[in-house]
Amino acid sequence: MAKNAAEWNAAPKFPTSHFVDSRIYTDDAIFEEEKEKLFKPTWIIACHESELPNAYDYRLFTHPAGVPLILVRGDDLKVRAFYNICPHRGNTILYDPAGNAKRMTCIFHAWSFDTRGECIEISRAEQGYQNRFCKEDASLREVKAEMGFGGFVWVNLDDSCGPLKDFIGSALGVLEPFMQEPMEVFHFNRAIVNTNYKLWHDTNSEFYHDFVHYFNRITGMLQPGYFERKYTGFANGHASVGSMSIQYDKYEGSKERAVGWPGLAPGGWYMVDLFPGMTYNLRTSVLRIDTAIPLGPNQVAIEFRGLGLKRDTPEQRAERIFDHNTIWGPFGRNLHEDLLAVHGQGRAMREGTGSRWVIHGREENSTIHDECGMRHFYAEWGRRMGRKSYDPYREGRAEPALAAA
Amino acid sequence: MEQRQQIEELIYRSCLALDDRDYKGFLALCDAGFRYKVAAYSPEIRKEMVWLDHDRKGMETLFTNLPRHNSDHAPLVRHATVYTVKVNGTQAEVVSALQVFRTALDGGATELFAVARLIDTVKLDGDAPKLASRVVRMETRQLGFGSHVPF
Repeated sequence: MAKNAAEWNAAPKFPTSHFVDSRIYTDDAIFEEEKEKLFKPTWIIACHESELPNAYDYRLFTHPAGVPLILVRGDDLKVRAFYNICPHRGNTILYDPAGNAKRMTCIFHAWSFDTRGECIEISRAEQGYQNRFCKEDASLREVKAEMGFGGFVWVNLDDSCGPLKDFIGSALGVLEPFMQEPMEVFHFNRAIVNTNYKLWHDTNSEFYHDFVHYFNRITGMLQPGYFERKYTGFANGHASVGSMSIQYDKYEGSKERAVGWPGLAPGGWYMVDLFPGMTYNLRTSVLRIDTAIPLGPNQVAIEFRGLGLKRDTPEQRAERIFDHNTIWGPFGRNLHEDLLAVHGQGRAMREGTGSRWVIHGREENSTIHDECGMRHFYAEWGRRMGRKSYDPYREGRAEPALAAA
Repeated sequence: MEQRQQIEELIYRSCLALDDRDYKGFLALCDAGFRYKVAAYSPEIRKEMVWLDHDRKGMETLFTNLPRHNSDHAPLVRHATVYTVKVNGTQAEVVSALQVFRTALDGGATELFAVARLIDTVKLDGDAPKLASRVVRMETRQLGFGSHVPF
């Protein structure tokens, strides 16, 4: 029988760890708090080293907390990160998303900065500032940056943050053997979807939604080994999914992934989800990286990167690109389905729709259709936010469900 | 019919066929050696990218598979304008501007979905001009939740 209002609004009959209040996906105040508590003090992937291979190469990145950043490789080949904000009148310093700039000059009043963030020229400085203000007073704001875990450039806005390796812990250990060779980005695109960033990360954290993917049903779910894939949770809210052998030849028009990946079994597929919104996805011949950049409670920009090996021949690279595009490209079979699904969630959950709960209740011994990956994420979310994801406003309305369970 | 007019009509018919999701009709306009590619330049990674690359067989398979997938059902309408036609013996190089509009099924609001350039090679040695290759050179790279249907 369909539910009436009281039944719809009553907490699900699960332990409180197994559902969340859907207002955590729509509330402005919670979103602002997430930027402060989750994103600002966390290591975030800004780009890959191959995007700035030479001295003075730079890459822009809008941090999930909203801060515009410049990643720039210095003459010492070290990559540093700075606010893309001129200390003079707050203008944008660099406009193009990538380039090469020995001097980074603000077009507004021609203040110039070097790749170490030092101001090297203030136009007509003496005439205007006399001895009251000089270049040394006008440095850029530097942000912590480290390179690692496959050659990615990570940034952290918190000056007192711990090292990147402590944040990652052993979460990427499963991928370590496959990230020994230099890699190169061959694909980048950004999708903006009207949904909460956590819903995208949730989708990367559960495989029960393989029902939306014809490709994954045919090549994975119906094949041996699929239901043996297991989730492993790690400190700081990260989680990984074990591999299987994907049967690509079961999908018409697909083919055996001949180019493969060094050390990875044919058809192999590992995923690691990193809190609060990044995913490493190594599937046979391509490493895909997702970085979720929330733009509001109900809008997210997702940056997608596809990587191959730096040593690829043109033929090998073409094969990787073909493999990538079949499922993950902007016209690929799976990406559109995933984006459409989270768009649908955003549409159903936006403020005022009456959406009330989201259930993460499946238990299958941590195997592929278990929803423990999401539960693991929300346990960390609650710890960092000081809120319970099932009762974010401390209203106590979810407690009867705990008693019932 | 003038040759240029025949070539222009081929380009426009190809758009109409895809608008109608008449994939057989689209392939009927293509040569046996047809090749289709979607390409874009990324200023972010400063690289040329290929987003789709199929021969005729690959396109046939793509069109066969699409109904098996979950896709957005909002119709896409292609608006092409043929800019240049360069005839060289038995083939022509044709450059067209392309705008793709998406119309929501619920309410019918239309939005610009993408702009691109069509770079077509047309074979002229048969009874009627046929598409030998098409490169959809995307200007738009941000497609929201995207599409399964090629442009």
